[in-house]
Amino acid sequence: MKEFHVDGSTTLSLALFTDVSNSKELLNSMQAGTLEPEAAFLNASLVPDVFPVLAAAHKTLLSKSRESLTTRTLHSELVYNYSGSKHITESLKRCGISDNTTYVLAARFGASADEMKMVEKLIIGKEIDLEELESRANKAQIQKHYKISGLELAISSLADSITCRIATRDAL
Amino acid sequence: MEIKQDDKEGFGVLLKQGAEARIFESTFLGRRSIVKERFSKKYRHPVLDSKLTLKRLNAEARCMTKARRLGVYTPALYAMDPLLYTLTLEYVEGPAVKEVLLAFGEDGIIEERLDDLATQIGEAIGKLHDGGLIHGDLTTSNMLIQSGTNRLVLIDFGLSFTSTIPEDKAVDLYVLERALLSMHSSCGNVMDRILTAYRRSSKQWSATLNKLAQVRQRGRKRTMIG
Repeated sequence: MKEFHVDGSTTLSLALFTDVSNSKELLNSMQAGTLEPEAAFLNASLVPDVFPVLAAAHKTLLSKSRESLTTRTLHSELVYNYSGSKHITESLKRCGISDNTTYVLAARFGASADEMKMVEKLIIGKEIDLEELESRANKAQIQKHYKISGLELAISSLADSITCRIATRDAL
Repeated sequence: MEIKQDDKEGFGVLLKQGAEARIFESTFLGRRSIVKERFSKKYRHPVLDSKLTLKRLNAEARCMTKARRLGVYTPALYAMDPLLYTLTLEYVEGPAVKEVLLAFGEDGIIEERLDDLATQIGEAIGKLHDGGLIHGDLTTSNMLIQSGTNRLVLIDFGLSFTSTIPEDKAVDLYVLERALLSMHSSCGNVMDRILTAYRRSSKQWSATLNKLAQVRQRGRKRTMIG
């Protein structure tokens, strides 16, 4: 678990899990809105670095402060923003977790230490260090989802390319 | 690693101010960054003003990221704010090509470096043009040389647009030619070296360079007679 300052007042706590066996239950309780405490679960294969997640979080807090969230909750907005696409259902499907996801990045805004412990308890799996994101990321899947060509990758890291897409989504 | 973003009110330290925007140095999620703020023009009608400003902000963000997709170094875009009209960009450390060339003028030319520079410029423009992107303001102060890597980084896509017409590409090159002539004539004919690299990099070089010859005769503006 690690805590990041996204803006002056709000933090984002991240925890990475592998060999997760209860994605289906997590997904169900999330969709039912009974997840306690509320958190975001990202498909970690699409996350090569924390920076784009923080950029998405920054964008989320900005819309929150302007009361202009596109999705229903702060945490679903994070997943939606991370996807860099405008299609909400598709975003949540691809960048969120599905029934058989085993590699999960959990995130919660402004979490206390206790709350993060509760989140960690919700997930049945093995917690690993965030440093492992880069080596475990699915490069081909990322390139396909974000439409990153080899040409672009020659001049940019995967993380920067994703960040650019997150930032420009609303300009397209 | 402590990540913090300060300066909630201002955008950071003011670096430069132009006619359309202000440039600040700031930090974004722990990384050194540049904030480009397009300010409103008080002499315009407020509705028109916000529409124009937002349109240009969006266009700039699109063109910058398109350039990256075409394989041309530009600063990564970290965030944009459609309410405050700001773009947050990666900070690129290094001098502008303008400064490098002016230094050549004073201390003598380092042929090898000049050649490398011209090649990188020609290749970058060739890639942009083949991808249908016109930079719109190719001057030596809008090109940076990243310290350490010596890579050419293009900045300021505020006047960029997409076009595949040879005319637009030729005018893009012509603007650079004029800028080089007026600022850096002591460096010899840099433009010829740039065009050589451009020809190698762009598949559509022939149509563009033919047009460039015409544009040279008449200047940047088209004559609208007949």
